[in-house]
Amino acid sequence: MQDAAVLKGTKDGYEIILDENANLKDIFSSLRKLLDNLKTQTASTNPQTIAFDIYTGMRLWPADDRSELEKIFSDYSYFSVHKITSDVITKEESNRIIEQSSVHIVDKVIRNGQEEHIQGDVLFLGTVHEGGKLFVGGNIFVLGNVEGIIQAGAPDLEDKMIIGDVHNAQQVRIGEQFEILADSKHEMNSGTVIYVNDLHVLDYGKVEDLKQINPKFYNQIGGVING
Amino acid sequence: MGKAYVITSGKGGVGKTTSSANIGTALAMLGKKVCLLDLDIGLRNLDVVLGLDNRIMYDIVDVAAGRAKLSQALVKDKRFDDLLYLLPAAQNTDKTALNEDQVREIVDELKPDFDFILIDCPAGIEQGFMNAIAGADSAIIVTTPEISAVRDADRVVGLLEQHPLQEQPHLIINRIRQHMMKDGSVMDVDEITHHLGVELLGIVFDDDAVITTSNNGEPVVLQAENPAGQGYRDIARRLVGESVPLMEIKDEQQPSFWQKVTHWFRKG
Ligand SMILES: Nc1ncnc2c1ncn2[C@@H]1O[C@H](COP(=O)(O)OP(=O)(O)OP(=O)(O)O)[C@@H](O)[C@H]1O
Ligand SMILES: [Mg+2]
Repeated sequence: MQDAAVLKGTKDGYEIILDENANLKDIFSSLRKLLDNLKTQTASTNPQTIAFDIYTGMRLWPADDRSELEKIFSDYSYFSVHKITSDVITKEESNRIIEQSSVHIVDKVIRNGQEEHIQGDVLFLGTVHEGGKLFVGGNIFVLGNVEGIIQAGAPDLEDKMIIGDVHNAQQVRIGEQFEILADSKHEMNSGTVIYVNDLHVLDYGKVEDLKQINPKFYNQIGGVING
Repeated sequence: MGKAYVITSGKGGVGKTTSSANIGTALAMLGKKVCLLDLDIGLRNLDVVLGLDNRIMYDIVDVAAGRAKLSQALVKDKRFDDLLYLLPAAQNTDKTALNEDQVREIVDELKPDFDFILIDCPAGIEQGFMNAIAGADSAIIVTTPEISAVRDADRVVGLLEQHPLQEQPHLIINRIRQHMMKDGSVMDVDEITHHLGVELLGIVFDDDAVITTSNNGEPVVLQAENPAGQGYRDIARRLVGESVPLMEIKDEQQPSFWQKVTHWFRKG
């Protein structure tokens, strides 16, 4: 029988490939054999801790089986799991990725006491009333009216931006940085970009300067071709 | 089959009870059969504003607990024959004495016998509020032109979106001081209505007579010439389907039609 767990060296360290067609029992016993072998081999030299990457091919490992796997590693004091990767993802995960990478058009009234949480970028056409909160994982492009609290990069991404006129807002937040607009007067118009600068402070710029403000984003919207 | 309206606001003291009493009375004056439900458990005062406090035998909690029949607990307002009734709140129990199902059941039992059921909601957005909206087909949201009241109204509109009633909510802007609205020191009627995105049912001016009449147990709508009373009468007419233009907001208070007429009578 071919081994269901095979060790491979990569440029980043060690990878263990688990046969996607083998049954779990064979995989686990084969893995133990492999780790036992490694333990005796490294025992002569100075013991050193190794964190393995686990690759599962076209097989999806549910959480239960993963913890079973990690339990095996916990029997070996010098070995641990660095990460588990595979070529497949769950529908749930794929939906989350789609959610995160699309621009959502939001046209609603977020009232006092209401919170809206959205992953991905948002084109906001609605209204956030005083006391309402719009929390967005990605960037926010504001064409509507914001009188409440608006956050891009929620909860902690500082490379996201708010583009548009939000001078009526109570607070703007990007990642963990925030500003209470009553305390600071900024000229704003539809071409205003709010971002976190290199000093981790909220800053205000113009769409014309996006290339300098956030080169990565600028490339993504096609600035390379145009510029 | 009658329709049940909850009269609510979020913020306290903006005129829910005053509006319930006056709209109820005005509807009875139009010949409609009305039942007022006081859900401000522990702090009842709708009975006082209507001058019915000395006639209470049982209250809504007695009915919910099965200690009294609904018909025993209803207090009749003798001024309007058989048209205006009150189901009083309990005073010596806390707000947890009632739940949503019980309120729904009581309202459903009242509906076949009445044209309108007006539910006076307590301030706040806790259980008392949930109870009050439970049996309602529609909501009348009361605010004043003050920012804090409008904010709370906004909160309530949001909650009503999460617990939608059969019909879209209506808005009453109460305690309007004409000169302040005219000179822009408070939000105006259009601004408030537009901001909240709720259909305007009517406006009511601030008037000392509202307070004095409440103290006497005689709702201000009973005074034919009073502008606040007219606001409430207009609201009642809109509720029965008439179309009535909004009262005009003027700088100086002009003598109203009724004032002119009484003047004329006195002369004669
Ligand atoms: N249009 C008006 N003009 C003058 N006074 C008014 C007007 N409307 C209400 N008031 C007064 O405001 C006070 C509060 O009104 P009311 O009790 O109706 O409010 P409420 O919303 O029911 O209060 P709560 O939240 O405590 O139940 C009362 O003294 C009442 O007389
Ligand atoms: Mg009240």
